[in-house]
Amino acid sequence: MPLESEPNLSALMEAAERGDSSAVDRLFAALYSELRRLARRELGRQGLPITLGATSLLHQAYLEIAGKDGTSFPDRARFMAYAAGVMRGLIIDYARSRHAQKRGGLFEITSLEADAENAVDDRSLAQVSEALDELAKAESELCEIVDLKFFCGFTFAEIAAMRTVSERTVQRQWEKARIYLHRKIRTDLES
Amino acid sequence: MFTLSPERWQEISPYLDQALSLPEAERAAWLESFRAQRPDLVDVLQELLKEHGALAREHFLERGPMEPANELFLRGRTIGAYRLISPIGQGGMGSVWLAERSDGRFDRRVAVKFLNFAVGAQGGAERFKREGRILGQLAHPHVAELIDAGLTPNDEPYLVLEHIDGEPIDQYCDQHALNVDARITLFLDVLSAVTHAHANLIVHRDIKPSNVLVRNDGQVKLLDFGIAKLLPSGEVPSPATQVTLEGGGALTPYFAAPEQVTAGAITTATDVYALGVLLYLLLTGRHPAGPGPHSPADLVKAITETEPLRASDTVTSADDAKSVAEKRATATEKLRRQLRGDLDTILGKALKKNPRERYGSVVTLADDLQRYLKQQPISTRPDTLRYRTAKFVRRNRTAVAFAALALVAVIAGLAGTLIQARTARRQRDSAVRERDRANRVTEFITDMFKVSDPSEARGNSITAREILDKASKDIDTGLSKDPEIQAQMMSVMADVYDGLGLYPRAESLLTRAVEIRRGVLGPQHPDTLESKRLLGWVLQEEGRYAEAEKLQRETLEDDRRVLGSDHPDTLSSINRLSGTLMLEGRYAQAETLAREAFDGKQRVLGPDDPSTLSSMNNLGGIIRMEGRYAEAEKLLRETLDIERRVLGPDHPTTLSSMYNLAYTLKEEGHYAEAEELQRETLDIERRVFGPEHLTTLTSMNVLALIVKGQGRYAEAETLLRQALDISRRVLGPEHPRTADLVYNLGCIAALKGDREQALALIREAVDHGLMARLGASEIEQDPDLKSLHGDPRFAALIAHAKKQAASQSSH
Repeated sequence: MPLESEPNLSALMEAAERGDSSAVDRLFAALYSELRRLARRELGRQGLPITLGATSLLHQAYLEIAGKDGTSFPDRARFMAYAAGVMRGLIIDYARSRHAQKRGGLFEITSLEADAENAVDDRSLAQVSEALDELAKAESELCEIVDLKFFCGFTFAEIAAMRTVSERTVQRQWEKARIYLHRKIRTDLES
Repeated sequence: MFTLSPERWQEISPYLDQALSLPEAERAAWLESFRAQRPDLVDVLQELLKEHGALAREHFLERGPMEPANELFLRGRTIGAYRLISPIGQGGMGSVWLAERSDGRFDRRVAVKFLNFAVGAQGGAERFKREGRILGQLAHPHVAELIDAGLTPNDEPYLVLEHIDGEPIDQYCDQHALNVDARITLFLDVLSAVTHAHANLIVHRDIKPSNVLVRNDGQVKLLDFGIAKLLPSGEVPSPATQVTLEGGGALTPYFAAPEQVTAGAITTATDVYALGVLLYLLLTGRHPAGPGPHSPADLVKAITETEPLRASDTVTSADDAKSVAEKRATATEKLRRQLRGDLDTILGKALKKNPRERYGSVVTLADDLQRYLKQQPISTRPDTLRYRTAKFVRRNRTAVAFAALALVAVIAGLAGTLIQARTARRQRDSAVRERDRANRVTEFITDMFKVSDPSEARGNSITAREILDKASKDIDTGLSKDPEIQAQMMSVMADVYDGLGLYPRAESLLTRAVEIRRGVLGPQHPDTLESKRLLGWVLQEEGRYAEAEKLQRETLEDDRRVLGSDHPDTLSSINRLSGTLMLEGRYAQAETLAREAFDGKQRVLGPDDPSTLSSMNNLGGIIRMEGRYAEAEKLLRETLDIERRVLGPDHPTTLSSMYNLAYTLKEEGHYAEAEELQRETLDIERRVFGPEHLTTLTSMNVLALIVKGQGRYAEAETLLRQALDISRRVLGPEHPRTADLVYNLGCIAALKGDREQALALIREAVDHGLMARLGASEIEQDPDLKSLHGDPRFAALIAHAKKQAASQSSH
């Protein structure tokens, strides 16, 4: 049986931007599997690097997909915004499952120094994610900044270059996003 | 309180932008004007700006979520027979995962540790698996079991380890407020684990609290034993490089010994040091380098140079002295008194900068701690004043570059002094004085190398060698006008090469020295004879027994004629010739000569002279080789008694007697005593001579034979393989000792029933020098090879060995 041919990512992105919600889901799914595939390949190739950064993963995904999709591929900034959102999803899902296992008593910490240093625990990560969904409705640009900065580890300079704005602007947007999220999480907790 | 609806936010967002882009000082004024403009929004805006202040205080979202990418993609993956469940740690080497068997055959959780290095091509993978299997046999109640070692399909090495659910020993002790004695008792369990590993020739290299876990039931478990061994050579990052590479942080070498920081040789003494740091930490709550934080550079300096504060002083000087004492269920003053004296002394000895001054083994450290617990006197004496003043000298000896410079100066100075001595000879009085001085300098340089044992010098032996190589060149050009001094310098340098185990170099220098002295001083001159004696000795060490014997016989004749039969040098010549004959298997002749030497030395030098003892020991060894074990045992025990009293436990002759006695006990079937004695011998030899010295290798071989005699073939094989690796590298594949090791491995293979391998190994030994000391009939009648009897290939091999032996003796 012939496989249904998958529309390329640029087409999906355009459809998503036109407000086609099924295209958003398919775009997410496509990027999701692409990032997983890339990560697995990197893990296999380099022999378990200690950190496989989200940033490098996204860069790589962009280069490969752009190469495949040819000249019609949309600009880097749009791609990164989508992919960073997907990366957030991956990280949040992962944190949730880890949290569930910890509570289930399956997970015992022996000498997990890295975990102790982790500033954001799994539960507040989930809260951040929920607040981000709200922020996306209020000002989606700020949400993208958080995805890029916090979840993917891009620097202000990188984000500024991607979006062709000044670094100061990105910094101010980041501050605004943090204010929103902090306020949101605090009021959610109090209410 | 207000809620942030999307609409509200969109309305206020541009004003927030404005406020944030203003300098903080101008915000208040701006807010006032904004209040006039938008009274409905000003309160919200003010609240949001207040929120902004909280962000910085809380570091809100400043640190990203832990890089989870690895974990995301590894979870659920199957590695070998194990399914990864969740990550439990991240070390310098790689990540550690909790895992379970994927086939459900055992209901057991394990830890899978990925090692972040490439095993490399050319047998790297095989080696990794083999070493892993060896480590797997290291069963001890206080060592976390290594269940498996393997490679993923991508050739990533991993280990499967017993999963230990516990906490680091220092935290455990603090949480349970264990007192000093309880801490020491727990620490003794750690020592028993390390002792076991050392007995199996495994050095940990990375003992620290996070590798010493205590389970809820109080059981201590040591993690990561021998992992360093699995790394391909050159892959082990020394803490010094870690400091430079990582700029400190997690990899700051808090538990590194000085020799690890200066890239010296790693021995069991390295573990003794780390154990000392751990004990210091458990007893005082502080690192010996003093209260932190330490920059990596400070720490390296502290490790290599600063003498640690006495533990008893540390516990009173700390800011948190009170809580430190409370965690040890006592008061500060009481704790100080408890640590003062024996515990200070024990810690001081374990933490010596110079590996050779530390406890010679973990057993002796444990012994002292047990004595302390039982309130018996400990073996170690407190530091003397002399020790403290000698510190400066010792420190410089470990500084490689400095030592090298000093050496150049000494060699240059020595040459100068000798020339001076020569010119001054006309003025008799000063000539005598200068000559004495020259001799002293000669002795000094010789001792300098002899003292630096190969283990410590390995890091700088290359440097030493370079200097020597350069000096030998200078001798040819600079001293050619003065052949007498030239020959003396050559002898000196040859002696140094010999001490470093660089026999061929020593040989070529001595050959020239003999030539020169023979030409200048004449063949019968005492100096000529001295060079010849040395050359004979070096030839014997090189395994060239026939040549050694010929030269030694020739020298001995001259010695008798020139010096007389009772001269100590003549007696030494006799002794050494008997040693060569023994190595050639000509025991009867060897015994006659050994007795002559021994009797003569007793008469001339007295029964307690080191030289007499050396002959006595030699005689004991020969009698053993002749199979008169009871007689050998009696003589060797007598010898050892005197040696321990007169020469001390670390003297090479004492060690040689220990070895001979252990060998004899093995032949008599007293395996337990033999093994205990031989392990002790090996332990000291590793420390005194270094792990790659000829003597140490010989001892490893005998320990393997003792272990083999008790049917523990795998263990014996491991030992032999380790010795063989070293021997091939250090002595070369053609050295008779290398052949011995190969032959013994062949015997093990035969005992295990692996005929193919046995035949191949024995053949290899026969072709590479075995016949220099073993007759074909001895191989034929070796009981270890019984399983090969009747095999036509074995018969052919014996025939081949006979031919080899014949061609050997015709050379």
